[in-house]
Amino acid sequence: MKKIILFVSALLVLFASVANAHGPVRQKAEEKITINAPAAKVWEIIKNYGDMSWHPGIMSTTVKGDNTKGAVRVLTLKDGSTITEELKKYDEAKMSYAYKITDMSSSKTITHAGAEEKVPALPVNDYAASIELADKGGKTEAVWKAGYYRAYMNNNPPEEMNEEAANTAVKAVLETGLLNLKKLAEK
Amino acid sequence: MFLVNYCRTSSRLAGGIHAILGDRHASSRLASGIHTILGDKAVAIFIATAFLSTPLAAQPFAYISNQLGDNVSVIDTATGSVVDTIAVPGKPAGIAVAPDGNKVYVSTPEAKGFAVVDTKKHEVIAKVTVNDGTLGIAVAPDGKRIYVADWYKNTVSAIDADSLQIIKTIGVGESPSGLVVSPDNRWLYVANRISNSVSKIDLNTLTVKQTAQVGTHPFGLTIDGRGERIYVANVKSDDVTVVETARMKPIATVKVNMLPYATALALNDSRLLVTNQDDGSVSVIDTETLKEIALITVGTKPEGISTHPDDRHVYVANWFDGNVSVIDARTLKVIDTIITGEGSRAFGQFMGK
Repeated sequence: MKKIILFVSALLVLFASVANAHGPVRQKAEEKITINAPAAKVWEIIKNYGDMSWHPGIMSTTVKGDNTKGAVRVLTLKDGSTITEELKKYDEAKMSYAYKITDMSSSKTITHAGAEEKVPALPVNDYAASIELADKGGKTEAVWKAGYYRAYMNNNPPEEMNEEAANTAVKAVLETGLLNLKKLAEK
Repeated sequence: MFLVNYCRTSSRLAGGIHAILGDRHASSRLASGIHTILGDKAVAIFIATAFLSTPLAAQPFAYISNQLGDNVSVIDTATGSVVDTIAVPGKPAGIAVAPDGNKVYVSTPEAKGFAVVDTKKHEVIAKVTVNDGTLGIAVAPDGKRIYVADWYKNTVSAIDADSLQIIKTIGVGESPSGLVVSPDNRWLYVANRISNSVSKIDLNTLTVKQTAQVGTHPFGLTIDGRGERIYVANVKSDDVTVVETARMKPIATVKVNMLPYATALALNDSRLLVTNQDDGSVSVIDTETLKEIALITVGTKPEGISTHPDDRHVYVANWFDGNVSVIDARTLKVIDTIITGEGSRAFGQFMGK
């Protein structure tokens, strides 16, 4: 019994030092848009994995490999930071592909809990996404989905690297991308 | 301890009487009346009604933790419908159903521990603080102990299921995730994600006996009915390591698909089903030839997987879609999709018996 009491006290001390701490929870984002253009036309715009010029947030894309699993593209954003993504799945018939972020440069460095933290270009970790088109009677439904963790994987994240920062940033990427895709396809 | 037992008794009692009288108000009045008497007669009635109520409660239920929704969906597997949604705050992730089906243990990382859900009352009856990285959770085959892994502290805690007190906390590898207890209740196996290993814990002494190196980033695991083999899904190396438990030696590595997450056995252990999280599919492996024999498309980001007591139907929680795919392991087809909640993870043994 004494042991248990001692142990519980030890635990309490630990808890006190990590108040409000918890493990990161995986987050998700999903954006949909209906485009008044045939799916084939929309697919023409996005089908080349190595060309992301349809997204207004991306300045340039370089790619190694073609539209097959394993191809790696590097996206350069407006601020010069880069995101490296590997193609994980490509399905021409379903007009869809899925990819994962494998590397990112940092957009800035902050100080948090006495340590320097590099905030990645997209403030997320372990990010996987897929984009898919569906023919809806001559129109197109485009769906972009992403699953990810916040950038800070330890307890007590700084606000630049917490869930809210991650969700806001990802939603913006998906939303602005799909809106621009609609604009381009309906031209 | 008294409180927990009291809850269980009263709900059983109410359930049993309710079944006879078919009147909710009458049953609760009767139940509270009996509690105030609490004589020998009440005990006799309790035993009788408990027996009577058992067949009615025998329907296997699946308990799906919806992490982003902070709740657990209860699926009646006979009808394929969600019969209730239980609020479980603290971002519920891991699931373990007690062998008698009366309780479900749900790890709640944001609440630093786990919640005890009463399956009759459909509510949380206890919250247990363990540590701040709780994820993997398992319950002993005799229901007497609960095991909880801590992702940050690199430990597994053994908890007494009656008193809900920690018996011992055992150091394992880095970022322990999936847990499984051997059918004979002698060993606990722990997948250590960062250490790329599986620890074998002696449940008599609560110490690590052996450790086996497996693939890269092992996460979910399962054990066969004889306790001879464990199957560990390695999320980074896209394969499953088959470990012979007697010597703790890997005997095979089976390539599956993108980001294998968790595993389950069906059809008398002849089929291993593996959720491929980033592929939206389930790989089916013949456990004799150790070859992939089918790839079944399920929902987006499949995670938790458990087999129905009929040993044929396998339930898969699709995290992104918030639903559950039901696979017939015999025909290798998805026969049903059940809408659950936001961020269905159901990591662990989520099927009642």
